[in-house]
Amino acid sequence: MTIPSYSGLNTALSGLEAAQAAIDTTGQNIANANTPGYTRQQVNLTERNPLTIQTLSSVTGAGSQLGLGVDITTIGRVRDQFLDSSYRNQNSQTSGNNTASTLLGQVQSALGEPGGSGLSTALNQFWTAFSGLQNDPTNQGAMSAVLGAGKTVAENLNTLSGELSTQESQVTGQFTTLTDPTTGPVATDAKQIATLNQQIAAAKTSGLDANTLLDQRDQLLDDLSQYSNVYVSQQSNGMVNVSFGNAAIAAANGTADATPLVNGSTVDLADNVTDANLSGSGGTLGSLLGLYDATTGAGKIADYAATLDGVANQLVSTVNGAIAGADAAGATAPPFFDPAGTTAGTIAVNSSLSSANPPYTAAEAGAAANLTGGAADQAYNAFVTQIGSDVHAANSAQQTSQSLLSAISNQRQSVSGVSLDEEMTNLIQYQQAYQASARVMNAIDETLSTLINQVGGGI
Amino acid sequence: MIGRVTQQMTASNLLANINQALDRIDTTQQELSTGKKINQPSDNPYGTSLALQLNNQLGNLTSYSNNVVDGTGWAQTGNAALSDITNAVQRVRELVVGASNGTQSQTDLSADAAEVNQLIDQIKQDANTQYNGQYIFAGAATGTSPYQAGANDAYAGDTGQVTRQIGPNTSLAVNADLSSVLGTGQTVSGQPAGDNKLLNTLRNISDAMQSGNQGALSSSLSQLDTNLGSLTGLTADLGATTNRLQMAASRIQSLQASDAQSLSDVQDADMAQTEVDFSTQQAALTAALQAGAHIVQQTLMDFLSG
Repeated sequence: MTIPSYSGLNTALSGLEAAQAAIDTTGQNIANANTPGYTRQQVNLTERNPLTIQTLSSVTGAGSQLGLGVDITTIGRVRDQFLDSSYRNQNSQTSGNNTASTLLGQVQSALGEPGGSGLSTALNQFWTAFSGLQNDPTNQGAMSAVLGAGKTVAENLNTLSGELSTQESQVTGQFTTLTDPTTGPVATDAKQIATLNQQIAAAKTSGLDANTLLDQRDQLLDDLSQYSNVYVSQQSNGMVNVSFGNAAIAAANGTADATPLVNGSTVDLADNVTDANLSGSGGTLGSLLGLYDATTGAGKIADYAATLDGVANQLVSTVNGAIAGADAAGATAPPFFDPAGTTAGTIAVNSSLSSANPPYTAAEAGAAANLTGGAADQAYNAFVTQIGSDVHAANSAQQTSQSLLSAISNQRQSVSGVSLDEEMTNLIQYQQAYQASARVMNAIDETLSTLINQVGGGI
Repeated sequence: MIGRVTQQMTASNLLANINQALDRIDTTQQELSTGKKINQPSDNPYGTSLALQLNNQLGNLTSYSNNVVDGTGWAQTGNAALSDITNAVQRVRELVVGASNGTQSQTDLSADAAEVNQLIDQIKQDANTQYNGQYIFAGAATGTSPYQAGANDAYAGDTGQVTRQIGPNTSLAVNADLSSVLGTGQTVSGQPAGDNKLLNTLRNISDAMQSGNQGALSSSLSQLDTNLGSLTGLTADLGATTNRLQMAASRIQSLQASDAQSLSDVQDADMAQTEVDFSTQQAALTAALQAGAHIVQQTLMDFLSG
């Protein structure tokens, strides 16, 4: 057996094609260097099956295998799915922490502490005013100061209580917007993933790589992960099933999810976008429910409101109690705060009091003034410290998770991102490979030409 | 370990670092402009709690300080009235001593009696002294004039105390029970059943002068000395109150200073330190920006020809 004359041409051609494909892919990578969600692509090359030539050697009679060039197997994405899953977990955590940090920060700003505009200053002025009234119980100016300071305290509590309610309705509003079954991002992401699932499965059936569709689906999964935990299980037909919320956490721990959010080409919002499935999970939605759950009325902001109500109740009962218990005349002295308003929203100065007719004795005013630094002050102090600590914790959690997210994102970028330097190097490499293949083709052409022309011309 | 470094990584890392640097500068800027290192409770929750407590204590100290000022006013007004009364009593004593040596005519004695009556009115007027619109010798009934001008010597006030709180659980009576010296008993001049207090004694002296009763005069003199003794005691008590108030004032002042110092330590920014931090952070930001401008632009392309 001899070597076929033209096989070298095909070998050179395969080299040209491979180099061409590699250059095209490099071009695609460079073009998409800054496209969000783009995964760098790589031409996967293998050797073509060789041509076996029996008894090539006339001396030993041994055969040989002759290489037939290079085969473009696939143009694949360079991606690490474990990094994807850690990125999505961390993304849930970070979005949740961002939400908590932002909203708790707003609650904190409403306090106006420790500046001069907060309730603590109003309380201090209130006690000082009572101390002034104690010195001169019949003085209308002193009584007017007490009334003014008392109203400031009550209004401060009313405003704070209103701010907390506003925060609660803001949280509920955000939650409703995000979970809207038609326009909410969770629903739209899930539907797009289901559609992409179908398209990818169809492409796989036709033996295509569907790199662009896979990139789109991965990006949607990344987006979905900011709302709550996401667990992705790969199916053999190229589709993915996506578990959401607490079901995703359970699925990651090995408990199969019977009702995934995206099951192949179908979307199941009813079983997944529920309080039970989202409460306590990561992501913006879990964090919002942790702050205020409109269905159960529980959550951190609701706790704050309850604590603030406690402060108001403490203030009303201690001030009224001190006045009533101060001396024998106490039984007839009117209460300072309206006994009906014992919450932060309803606390009010007794409307029958007027500075024109100061009703309290020195002992009664003194008993009220002595409450300074007492139960109400302490309760409010604890309330402020609680919020401060919560915001502090939320901020540090946010910073930590943010830097973890950047670290994971960097790792992912390191695998999947486009490095222009690398692409430039590849470009030179592939360009030279192309030139070399062309040179080979040229050489074969020349040899064949020698053979045909010189040998033929000799006759 | 990161094997590959892409332009996007460099850019996003640079951006994150610049943002962090800006965030730090923003925080420092806030500290500089407010002069406080605790601008929100979350900056230092425990420090905030301390600051609230210290503010409350400072508020209490302001109240105590106001009370001390008010109490000192009471005590000093009281002292002035008491020394006026003492002077009047001394004058009466001189008149009594002059009258009891038997050399004065009845006309002189009647004139003495008239002066004593005037002094009685003056003493009662002193007892009606007001401070800040309140009668200071009427016990707790500060709205009631304790004595009436004229012959009626009845005491209209009570024996209650007017107290000022000058510290936690520390109250001080700032009034003096003048009725214990002036007396409450005799209502109309000339009637018996006197309580031998100052007004009663003075009325007796006046009566004795009017009637030229030398025996009654001399016995009244010793009674007057007893009354003068208790008046001096009362003055001394009120003087002691003034001293206590002054000591309380200086104690409150030093507490205010130390609490204000603690508050400043907790919540005020160390300006020198903050300024230095600010400059350092600014330098770091500038460096990051400059480095970024150089790094981000450069790729292999800059070094490949054609």
